[in-house]
Amino acid sequence: MKKLHLLSVLLLTLGGGLITLFTQAIAAEVGSGAEIINNNCARCHNSRPVQEFSTQEWSVILPHMREKAHLTGQETETVMDFFKTLSGGPVKNVADVATMPVMDGGALMKKFGCQGCHSFNGKGGALGPALDNVVAQRGGEFVMKKLTDPQFNNPSSAMPKMPLTSAQINVLVGFLGKK
Amino acid sequence: MHTNIVKNHSIKLISCMSAYLISAASLAQPYDAGEQGRFVIAGYGDVKYEESDLLDSSAFSARFVPIFLFSLNDKMHVEAETEISLNEAGETEVELEYADIHYFLTDTTTVTVGKFLLPFGQFSANFHPSWINRTPWTPGIYGSHGSAQAMTPLLPILSDVGIAVQQTFFFTSQQKIFLDLYVTNGARAEAHNDGDEIIEDHAEDEEVVDEHTEAFPEVEFAATSGDNNKNKAFGGRIAYAFLPAIEIGASYYTAKYDEEERLSITAQGMDINVIGSRYLIRGEYILTETDGLEEADEHAEETINAFKRNGWYLQGVLQAGQIWPQLGGTELVVEYAKTNKFAKAKRWVAGLNYWLDPRSVIKFSYEETDIEEGDGDQRLAVQYSYGF
Ligand code: HEC
Ligand code: HEC
Repeated sequence: MKKLHLLSVLLLTLGGGLITLFTQAIAAEVGSGAEIINNNCARCHNSRPVQEFSTQEWSVILPHMREKAHLTGQETETVMDFFKTLSGGPVKNVADVATMPVMDGGALMKKFGCQGCHSFNGKGGALGPALDNVVAQRGGEFVMKKLTDPQFNNPSSAMPKMPLTSAQINVLVGFLGKK
Repeated sequence: MHTNIVKNHSIKLISCMSAYLISAASLAQPYDAGEQGRFVIAGYGDVKYEESDLLDSSAFSARFVPIFLFSLNDKMHVEAETEISLNEAGETEVELEYADIHYFLTDTTTVTVGKFLLPFGQFSANFHPSWINRTPWTPGIYGSHGSAQAMTPLLPILSDVGIAVQQTFFFTSQQKIFLDLYVTNGARAEAHNDGDEIIEDHAEDEEVVDEHTEAFPEVEFAATSGDNNKNKAFGGRIAYAFLPAIEIGASYYTAKYDEEERLSITAQGMDINVIGSRYLIRGEYILTETDGLEEADEHAEETINAFKRNGWYLQGVLQAGQIWPQLGGTELVVEYAKTNKFAKAKRWVAGLNYWLDPRSVIKFSYEETDIEEGDGDQRLAVQYSYGF
């Protein structure tokens, strides 16, 4: 019995040491904020939408989740940056959002990390469904509503509400409908 | 005279309240008012209506579990959770679930000191809050604080005082190994009125189920700021995560629980967590080995006997609303739990959950427990739980 305990302690330490050596050799890349959320935040509980907390509140909650989810410091910071982007600076300041330039669909998809959670053109996350045929299948109006209020049809949706103007939403729907 | 007193009181009340408000406001808004916050109250609460066959009762119960989070700086983060509930006698019970500080030593290493939930398996540290747990009950092999269940659990929700180190080994953003190690005060022999902490072994010839607890060494896990011996509990968990879909872990816990440091309790666990976009599968297996003293007849010496117990649970959740959109936040849950030796039992749980938003859920659950030698139970519960 005693021996067994010692053995497992030994194995754990040895294993740990070896793995450290290993990881130092591979400097792996941290994904985008949306990717990190896609990969980590639905593991224990429903992913909580960004609009539930202010940026300041997230900055206190994320270290709590860093420990729970075993995120690295860099990953935590990347998620925090993504939340800041999503809140478009001071999110309640409508003027701020309105003056954001209308970008092309691809750039908007990138800025808001759609592919962190959705696959598109064969690449992306799996937290949400693939977006390739979403306009054809569900209609432009549905997608427009979804982007305006992601929780409208699914109250437990993990999709974040994004500070998109209606012009930007039109661009996105057009972009997704072209496929 | 009378009005004076009233005035006095209201002045006190107002000054108290404003002091509170001012301090709350100053806590919520750090003086530099930048993007970095300092203090957040989060947590969860629930209300449950439960009918139990065994207890022959039906009852409402409620809990409020605030979590206090402080971000002191980039490296230091304080967390504390208290559970406030009403017990059966109508008294308010307050329990300190955890109170600790994390020190983020490096990008991938975190040191935690204080009272924390032990990283043994997944349920204790990660799944037990009611807005996360898919049923209103603990999964059979874990004990619940609050309502007692018919099944004899293998371990309680483990929370103890000590130090823990966490290391994340980052291969790619989708493949990681999590390592947790800890040293804590550890388990104790359950105190008995007569001061005799050693329970005799009658396991072999036991028939009455109530007495299995007597035959089985009683070990108390509840944390204290002290220890009955010099020996500390030691343990850890190592897990492999293939994100976002699978996490598999192995856990270990060992402690000497008697004052003489002769008797030990060892627990080993395996856990699996599968996260689909339409389903979840969670399961854990626990094996415990508890030493007990066998008081032999006059001639022979006392011998130490190891009692082995094991059990497991497997839970499946189907997010029906993801398949049939008209069902919205509806989820179906099935859970099976089984314990072997010294209280053989099995339990089925079936449930239907409806999510109002990602953190509030109404659960309708039914469970049936079969105990091999003793009274089983059937329970029906409706629980409304919310995270905040
Ligand atoms: C390993 C399990 C686990 C993972 C992974 C996880 N969480 Fe949590 N989360 C919890 C638990 C458990 C709680 C409940 C609080 C508690 O008991 O300490 C919680 C609570 C929360 C809360 C409520 C506020 C609070 O701090 O209590 C938010 C918001 C949250 N999590 C967001 C996230 C985000 C964002 C991610 C991804 C980076 C994430 N969680 C990943 C386990 C997890
Ligand atoms: C943090 C993860 C996340 C991000 C980022 C995200 N989504 Fe989603 N999205 C989801 C999830 C999860 C669902 C599925 C649940 C639901 O029904 O809302 C979803 C659903 C959708 C749907 C509905 C699909 C269907 O068939 O019902 C559309 C359309 C959509 N997202 C578009 C987008 C676009 C466009 C972006 C970027 C501007 C985006 N999403 C960014 C998580 C995300």
